[in-house]
Amino acid sequence: MHRYEVFLKKPGREEFRHAGTLDAPDPEMAMLLARETHSRRGEGAEMWLVDREHVLVGDDAHLAVNDDKPHRHNDGSLVAARRKQEREERA
Amino acid sequence: MTLSTGTREYLLGFADDEHMIGARHTSWIGLGPFLEEDLAFCSIAQDELGHAIALYELLLDDQPDTDLDAFAMLRDPVDYRSCHLAERECGAWNDSLVRHWLYDRAEQLRWTSLLESSNERLAALAARALREEAFHVEHAAQFMARVAPSQPAQILESITTLLPIAAGIWDAVAGEPEALADGVATASSAQLAEQWELAVRTDLADWNLDIEWPDDTSTADVGEAQGARRRRSDGFDELQADLRKVIDLDPSARW
Repeated sequence: MHRYEVFLKKPGREEFRHAGTLDAPDPEMAMLLARETHSRRGEGAEMWLVDREHVLVGDDAHLAVNDDKPHRHNDGSLVAARRKQEREERA
Repeated sequence: MTLSTGTREYLLGFADDEHMIGARHTSWIGLGPFLEEDLAFCSIAQDELGHAIALYELLLDDQPDTDLDAFAMLRDPVDYRSCHLAERECGAWNDSLVRHWLYDRAEQLRWTSLLESSNERLAALAARALREEAFHVEHAAQFMARVAPSQPAQILESITTLLPIAAGIWDAVAGEPEALADGVATASSAQLAEQWELAVRTDLADWNLDIEWPDDTSTADVGEAQGARRRRSDGFDELQADLRKVIDLDPSARW
């Protein structure tokens, strides 16, 4: 059995969205079964199936935030404080 | 539209087949070999029950006082016209799979022949059913094609057992000649049986399954047992009792 990730896209300008996962012995059978498991009620106008084996996965270490780089977390507070100060100086 | 007696019996045979096969397929709800197949198979079961309802509606069109559920489930066994393949209990997955393949190969041919029916409602229903049937046949064929290469003994045994019983699908009701004369039916069971045999033999060859085609005696035995679809198979009483369980609680309940 292979595991496939199912993506569906509604008509129009919607993007493809992850709809779920299914197990099937091969791509042809996966496509056949995906129709029943994920699009029986017209949930999508287009379908992508991706073999889980082909998905590149970033692990936790790869995604961990560097906590020594506060400058990457600009929430705008410094700029806001400076503008506030300037306003007060003008007043 | 008033249907002749023969046409009614002809349609009843098809409706009861769909009802029984749908009901039998649903026994796999929650028990399919894997989740995805469970969903697919039970969806097919639902489609077949839908076909049965549509055919029953056609039959009851001129009898507004007859309740469809009661008609479907509470008739005397002798008033059903289902074939024994559809009625049969297939407790093992291999039997259910093989029956699904043999039955849907036949069902697709039956609906196709009804596309040209003189009854427009039936012809429209056939067109609708065939869209679902394409999936049913493909599902059965894809599944069989994957199982076949290892030549599992269970599958070979299931085919050998079920093939002569499946030929009983083509056991015509007494009313068939009238249905043909009315133009409601456009192909005789004998004609469809030939097409079916060709399709099934082609599948077997494609899958390299070495199965001996049942001889005339064994298919004649099934025909004899069915008696132009007037006789029910062993186990029908239990099946009907099961189907009646809910309606018997309160036949007047509205759902």
